[in-house]
Amino acid sequence: MVERELIEECRNGDLHNFRKVVDKSTPLIFSVAYRMLGDEDAARDIVQETMVAVWQKLAKIKTAESYKTWVYRIAVNKCYDQLRKLKRQKENRYDDQGWAVIANHLSENGIAELENRENAMIINLLTNQLSPRQKTVFVLSELEGMEAEEIVNITGMAKSVVKANLYYARKNIGSLLQKYL
Amino acid sequence: MKKTEENVRYDKIVQILRNSSPDLKNPEEIENEVIGRIQPQNLKNGRISDFIETLFSWVYIGWVRRSLIGISAVLIAIFVYQQAFIFRQVKAISKNIVITGNESSDVSSSVLGRRLTLYRMSSRLSPAGEIRIPESQLEELLDSYNELQVKYKDLLRIIEENPELKKTIEKKLKEEKNNKPEI
Repeated sequence: MVERELIEECRNGDLHNFRKVVDKSTPLIFSVAYRMLGDEDAARDIVQETMVAVWQKLAKIKTAESYKTWVYRIAVNKCYDQLRKLKRQKENRYDDQGWAVIANHLSENGIAELENRENAMIINLLTNQLSPRQKTVFVLSELEGMEAEEIVNITGMAKSVVKANLYYARKNIGSLLQKYL
Repeated sequence: MKKTEENVRYDKIVQILRNSSPDLKNPEEIENEVIGRIQPQNLKNGRISDFIETLFSWVYIGWVRRSLIGISAVLIAIFVYQQAFIFRQVKAISKNIVITGNESSDVSSSVLGRRLTLYRMSSRLSPAGEIRIPESQLEELLDSYNELQVKYKDLLRIIEENPELKKTIEKKLKEEKNNKPEI
């Protein structure tokens, strides 16, 4: 990901090297934010805010090795707050067109690569009924491929809580797949 | 059998989603915006922190340093307020006295004396506190005073030159003095 030397240079106020850090961190943050929020503009805002926060708090980072966890923590926390706000306004409705798209992909033999919009639509459809915690754990574990230990460090949840949330997320999505397909 | 089918579907859809990493368009735009947001902040913070560092680098304990910075800020604020207050007071006082002409060192002591006399006269005539004399009137008064002085000197010279006139005037003055009742 981001080299230790780059982080050290940035900690000394080197803006030129920070540009490289932004360049390397942006795809990772965007991926998590987009999968969690399902909105490109919101995800771009999260990337910006996260990188500005990273620059402001760079001196507080204990070791350059912990950078990845640390930057994910900032981004995930921002997304989590956003999800909580959205959850209040969200209305649940059945989207037969969306389920038809999922059914179509499931019937295909290979593993299709989705466009951004389709990707967001499917994630939103599957995770619509999940709590912000369950959705966060689902995205980090199942879509970003992180280990439970890593999720514990990023979210600050206990390992048992992470596992429980993942279990309920899987169960919920499984029952949706059973119900609509 | 049913459970397995559900799991297969779940695994497949998760696999599809995991493989389809969101594509970020124009990442350089975000990069520029982030740098743009950081730069002015960095410049401002840098200057302030450099200044504070120069002043308080001798204090090593964090809370002592913060307290000193706070106290300094308060003292500076009090000083600025005090200066502003004094300035306002001086401005108010200066409004009460009108002095005409140049107040430079070339003003002779006699002229200054005359001005002081005029000032005393005007303060006796005006009520205590605010004295306002228009500049044009004051100049007119000074001119007529100077003219009077010249005429007085001329009169004295004429009297000196003419002994008879002098005698007559002295006689008149004596008479006036004798006729004046004593208080």
